[in-house]
Amino acid sequence: MLKRYDLSVGMMLFLGSLLVFFGLFLFYPLWYAFLNAFWIDGRLSFEFFEFMLTNPVYVESILNSFRLAMVTTIVTTIVALPLAFLLVRYDFRGKGLVNGLLLVPMVLPPFVGAIGMRQMFARFGSVNLLLIQAGLIDEPIDFFGGGGFLGVVVLEVLHLYPIMYLNVAAALSNIDPSMDEAARNLGSRGFKLFRTVTFPLMLPGYFAGAIIVFIWAFTDLGTPLIFNFRRVVAVEIFNSISDLNENPVAYALVVLVVLLTVFFFFLSKSVIGGRRYEMISRGHVSGASRQASTGMTFLIWGVMILLTSVALLPHLSIVLTSFTDRWFMSVFPESYTLSHYGMVFDHPLSSTSIQISLFLSVLSTALDVVLGISIAYLLTRTNVPFKGVLDGVAMLPLALPGIVLAFGYLASYSGTFLDARHFPLPLLVIAYGVRRLPYMIRSAYAGFQQTSVALEEASLNLGATRLRTMFRVTFPLILANLVAGGILCFSFAMLEVSDSLVLAMKDEYFPITRAIYALMGRIADGAYIASAMGVFGMFLLMASLFLAGRFLGRRMGELFRV
Amino acid sequence: MVSVTLDQVTKRFDSVIAVDRVSLEVEEGEFFFLLGPSGCGKTTLLRMIAGFYRPEGGHVRFGDRDVTDLPPNVRNTGMVFQNYALWPHMTVRKNVEYGLAMRNVERSEMDRRVDRALGMVQMGAYADRSPNQLSGGQQQRVALARALVIEPDVVLMDEPLSNLDARLRLEMREQILALHKEIGTTMIYVTHDQKEALAMSNRMAVMDSGRVVQVGTPRDLYQRPASRFVADFIGEINLIPGKLLDAGSGYSVETGLGTLRAEECPAGLAKGDGVLCAIRPEGLAFLEGEGTPGDNTVTGKVHSVIYLGEVEQYLIELVDGTMAKMVEHDPVTQRAQPGDDVRLRFSPTRVVLLPSRGEGDAEAL
Repeated sequence: MLKRYDLSVGMMLFLGSLLVFFGLFLFYPLWYAFLNAFWIDGRLSFEFFEFMLTNPVYVESILNSFRLAMVTTIVTTIVALPLAFLLVRYDFRGKGLVNGLLLVPMVLPPFVGAIGMRQMFARFGSVNLLLIQAGLIDEPIDFFGGGGFLGVVVLEVLHLYPIMYLNVAAALSNIDPSMDEAARNLGSRGFKLFRTVTFPLMLPGYFAGAIIVFIWAFTDLGTPLIFNFRRVVAVEIFNSISDLNENPVAYALVVLVVLLTVFFFFLSKSVIGGRRYEMISRGHVSGASRQASTGMTFLIWGVMILLTSVALLPHLSIVLTSFTDRWFMSVFPESYTLSHYGMVFDHPLSSTSIQISLFLSVLSTALDVVLGISIAYLLTRTNVPFKGVLDGVAMLPLALPGIVLAFGYLASYSGTFLDARHFPLPLLVIAYGVRRLPYMIRSAYAGFQQTSVALEEASLNLGATRLRTMFRVTFPLILANLVAGGILCFSFAMLEVSDSLVLAMKDEYFPITRAIYALMGRIADGAYIASAMGVFGMFLLMASLFLAGRFLGRRMGELFRV
Repeated sequence: MVSVTLDQVTKRFDSVIAVDRVSLEVEEGEFFFLLGPSGCGKTTLLRMIAGFYRPEGGHVRFGDRDVTDLPPNVRNTGMVFQNYALWPHMTVRKNVEYGLAMRNVERSEMDRRVDRALGMVQMGAYADRSPNQLSGGQQQRVALARALVIEPDVVLMDEPLSNLDARLRLEMREQILALHKEIGTTMIYVTHDQKEALAMSNRMAVMDSGRVVQVGTPRDLYQRPASRFVADFIGEINLIPGKLLDAGSGYSVETGLGTLRAEECPAGLAKGDGVLCAIRPEGLAFLEGEGTPGDNTVTGKVHSVIYLGEVEQYLIELVDGTMAKMVEHDPVTQRAQPGDDVRLRFSPTRVVLLPSRGEGDAEAL
């Protein structure tokens, strides 16, 4: 007997339109980049690849990106691993608050933080001046030695350690406590225990986190741009968009990034897949965490406060900059003003950008909500063919670096009615939407899963149609998830970097981040207005995350794990 | 109120046959039970009656109406779910009035009926609570009220008492029975608890591996099980293998314990067939003193004794080595000690003959 699928005409139409949507806005741009990288003058050619791998500028960029990604991954590991141990293994006062604090640096865009960081650690920035005044040094220290490398690393680490932490902590708390107990019973302890039992068991989780961090650092565009650290892959791609026809190497660079991403995800699949440890006998042990002593509690809080304040330093310095009237050769600004905030709304560049961003974010969020709910519903509540494929495709943007998709959109739709050079708004809405769709799907999916199907069946049984059941029972029950997902999509769209930088080319269509970048380039008061906008953006983000957190509670962290 | 007819209903999940050509007739107003071990297909069958599954074969009829392909929302059944499925985002009142709202019942009429339904299950005082603030038993009552308030043609209950503690379960049995008496609707109730089925049902169907193996009143099934499966599943029973001899006065069976006599014999058994003599523990009795060693008398040694208050259970090792259970009712004094030699009498009216061929009880029908 044939398996019965829920395939009505409406369902098939819907599946078909999903297929067209993802085909047009996910696969076609990628395909276009591949085609242009390898299909030159009507034949298969590795000419561009060869050029990319021999030209000293590109080689340097690729190597820089690798170095950046490697160092960032190592440093985040050093920060996140002990942190995860402390927070998973110990119970102490204010644990919930600490878990919340951890998420803060992740959601503040590093792009904005970079502006503040530059002010503070510049050659004659606050830190150097403070040290000179204190008589500790005579000559200002070049903190961002190596043309900004250090600065970029610091910001990437400060931005990405929470992601590493979330993955490692999840892996750690999944380990059956009796595994460690058995090893201790047999005489192992301390670092040896960690090296022989604990770490091998948490390796899959660690690997997942490390790959996200690596790819993110490898492909981040905003931070290197602000630090003027231009010899990295993302910036090379960004620079090439203005003269794509004369300089098609960017296609090869994009392909390189895609291949690298694919390689790492396959690597992680094989590592995780080959080592999926079934943790049996969980549940009857009352968890591995133990009450921290007073000393330990102080230690944990000390570490947390130190780490969080360092992580927030760039953003604090932005707040300071935004209020600065004059700040030249002094530790703190000489005088303060509120005028930059007024400028944000007066200056044509900034005020239009806020309107543009709001407009784009509302539309892209609406797109995410509609698509996200329907896909999650298809995945959890119906029996349609190729569910696994749909799931994989819809979650793909989570793994795909932003610069790749943005570049693909720009290149593949140039010359069509969607050409971003003339009118970028439709493509920006779609780009924002596709990039953040996974968050919406995840939120809705979790909601559907946590809601017993019996609750919907009870409604059907009492005479409600499927549609009515959805609106009267299902949606109210998962409202928290839907709102949280929507808020995340909206706030990420408001401060989206790579799509905005790549796709928006005309002043009148600049979104907020693109306007900040443009303002940074102006000598006079550009940096101050940019900072004020950055502060505005941060508050928007924090407010929305706070809201989302209120709706989602402690499940918030799950959204950021892969 | 309608009758429910199942005609050769079949349901598969991938390659597993969950329900296999089941035909049943539930009469109007009947309190009908589907009884069987977990995985036997009873819940699947119930969900097909509710319309949550579509059978791959066969028909479901309410009265004369074929409802096989109707969606659940137009079937007018009231279902009580195992975990109650009360909507946590609605108050008790909102939960109960939901079905009426779907039927566009007028506000005043709706309030009246909701109040009556809540009153019927003694939950009137809790109308404005949230389901999360209620105990398991209270949630159960609300779930009942929600199913009954729409005046369904059939009430469907999926192990409604399985999440309650033992005392509450007994209390709710009484309540549900009283409700059935009051409203008289056809009810179909799924359970794996044979005591529940015996105590509450008008008739029941015993299911095994997707098939109905016997249908009857509680008394029928307990006293006249048609197969070893049913005999084992409902209550306790002693099974003694033997061979059917000629029919003299009653039917005689040659066993390792000598000749046992039964008063009835199911059709289809012939002389020389292998049979099982099935007898409930309460069909055995001690034979006092020397007495006349007549038919159906066996000897054995007491293995163990368990005192349970209203009964005393004896486990007796018979001469051929089989263990037999017997119970003494109202045991004022203990009749025998472990190790004592005893003589037992098998009451011929209580010996049921079962076909012993194969384990395939599904074929026994």
